[in-house]
Amino acid sequence: MPNKQLAMVIDSSRCIDCKACMAACITANAVPVGCNRNWVKDAEPDLAKGAFRGHFQPGGCMHCDNPTCVAACPTGATFKSPEDGAVVIDRGLCIGCGNCIPACPYGARFRNPAIRKADKCDYCAARREQGLSPACVDTCPTKARVFGDLSDPDSEAARLLAENKGRLVRLVAAATDTKPNMYYLGVTEPRNWPVEPAPPTAMAAMTGLVDPLVKTAVALSGLGVLAMLGRQLFTKPTPPHDGHGHAPGDQTPGSGDADRPDNRS
Amino acid sequence: MRRIKRHDRSDILIHWFNAACWLALLVTGVGLVANPQLNPAGDAYPGAVRSLFGGGPALLAVHIGLGIVWMAGIVLYVAVNFRGAVFFLKEIFSVSPARDVMWMVKKMALMTVGAKPLVKAGLTPDLPDQGYYNMGQKAFAQASVLGGVVIVATGVVMSLSDMVIPASMVWMVGWSVTLHYLAVGLVFAGLLVHVYMAAISRDERPGFVSMFTGHVPEDYARHHHKLWLDGLTGDSGGHK
Ligand code: HEM
Repeated sequence: MPNKQLAMVIDSSRCIDCKACMAACITANAVPVGCNRNWVKDAEPDLAKGAFRGHFQPGGCMHCDNPTCVAACPTGATFKSPEDGAVVIDRGLCIGCGNCIPACPYGARFRNPAIRKADKCDYCAARREQGLSPACVDTCPTKARVFGDLSDPDSEAARLLAENKGRLVRLVAAATDTKPNMYYLGVTEPRNWPVEPAPPTAMAAMTGLVDPLVKTAVALSGLGVLAMLGRQLFTKPTPPHDGHGHAPGDQTPGSGDADRPDNRS
Repeated sequence: MRRIKRHDRSDILIHWFNAACWLALLVTGVGLVANPQLNPAGDAYPGAVRSLFGGGPALLAVHIGLGIVWMAGIVLYVAVNFRGAVFFLKEIFSVSPARDVMWMVKKMALMTVGAKPLVKAGLTPDLPDQGYYNMGQKAFAQASVLGGVVIVATGVVMSLSDMVIPASMVWMVGWSVTLHYLAVGLVFAGLLVHVYMAAISRDERPGFVSMFTGHVPEDYARHHHKLWLDGLTGDSGGHK
């Protein structure tokens, strides 16, 4: 477990769909045109049930405790930070294989067309280094997004969680609980949009088929070498021509012991 | 005792250059895999190599640099000794199944369980004659050539992925990771046997020496590579 666990607590009933969080994120992180690190989803008002208001739901990377994107990364370029529990990407190590993108149930990752590598919310790492909070949190006019360290009981995020025990919602895919660190207070809609993580066939083949195949091949080969070594160490050298490609009658002059001085070296 | 020339100086150089590159690429490359579902050298290995090289990105850069040096060396060898390269490829891909399969079965038995089981199975322990390379050498050489092609192609795709690969072709990068791992793994499995046979096995000692001197004693050539020697001397007895 990380020393800290950064998280976002969201009161989506406060969201007015102004999308200032999205604009602030794009500016703060130089997100290329057409891409987003965060979002505001909306639920249509269900007039049949007498609900005359829709509902807006801000979101972004949920920095899960069980990150399926991290499991899909072959190089460890994306990992859960041991310092603060954020799921981050080491751009120097990411080779842009794309395995992590469909492995996220939330669609929080995208291939940044400018760097051709995976990109997503990092809770504004650069701003945090300067002691600022993430741009989306800072800019939200209704304070729908609250950010903080859950391991610090005095943080506003931890306090909100404690106060709202029993009415917290975490959005998860039907069959996979990624243990997201994004908590919604009370009712939030829509809820059933996270999809099952689907790492590409290439990664599934690597972990499920290629890796066991390679390890079995290396193990068998290693056993073969041990068997040969054992035979060499614990048996006497074979007589010179035992098993050395001589058809009967193929004996040539000078092919006695003397021509294989190496044979008992 | 007559000594027969087996390897050119450029053959010897490329062999040891290739072996050194393989070793360095293996040490750095295995350190670039960091995923608990894989970690072929244990969970602690990637972190250790990365800190040794000053971090993951530095290790990646070193690995790519070594890969370029390796490719350049092989291209240079082919340019310098084109005929040698063609001879090598021709030799390793000419397999005569009847002779070579029997050789492989018998040799594997002789090296591990000995001659008795062969005799019990109604076979003689005599090995069918072999050419410039025996079937074991051919099998490993085929694996390292075909594996090398896959390793280079997928390595190029991976290193170019953040430079030229468009979004619609990202699937190629994912598959390159998988195939790179597969090819290296299988060649490495063969390499264990190769290094044993070449450097440790007492029967093959003259072959080992030849990878430094370029020459083998005539009798060694006759016992191990009779068809090659016969071809050289044009004499089925192989002894002049
Ligand atoms: C310390 C490591 C190695 C040792 C001691 C070694 C030794 C040798 C020797 C002595 C030969 C000559 C056999 C003969 O002509 O009779 C040979 C051939 C060869 N080596 Fe290596 N080698 C090593 C590493 C490698 C590596 C890493 C590769 C490639 C992945 C490789 C590929 C080959 C190939 C393709 C041949 C020709 C076919 C054969 O003889 O099997 N070797 N090696």
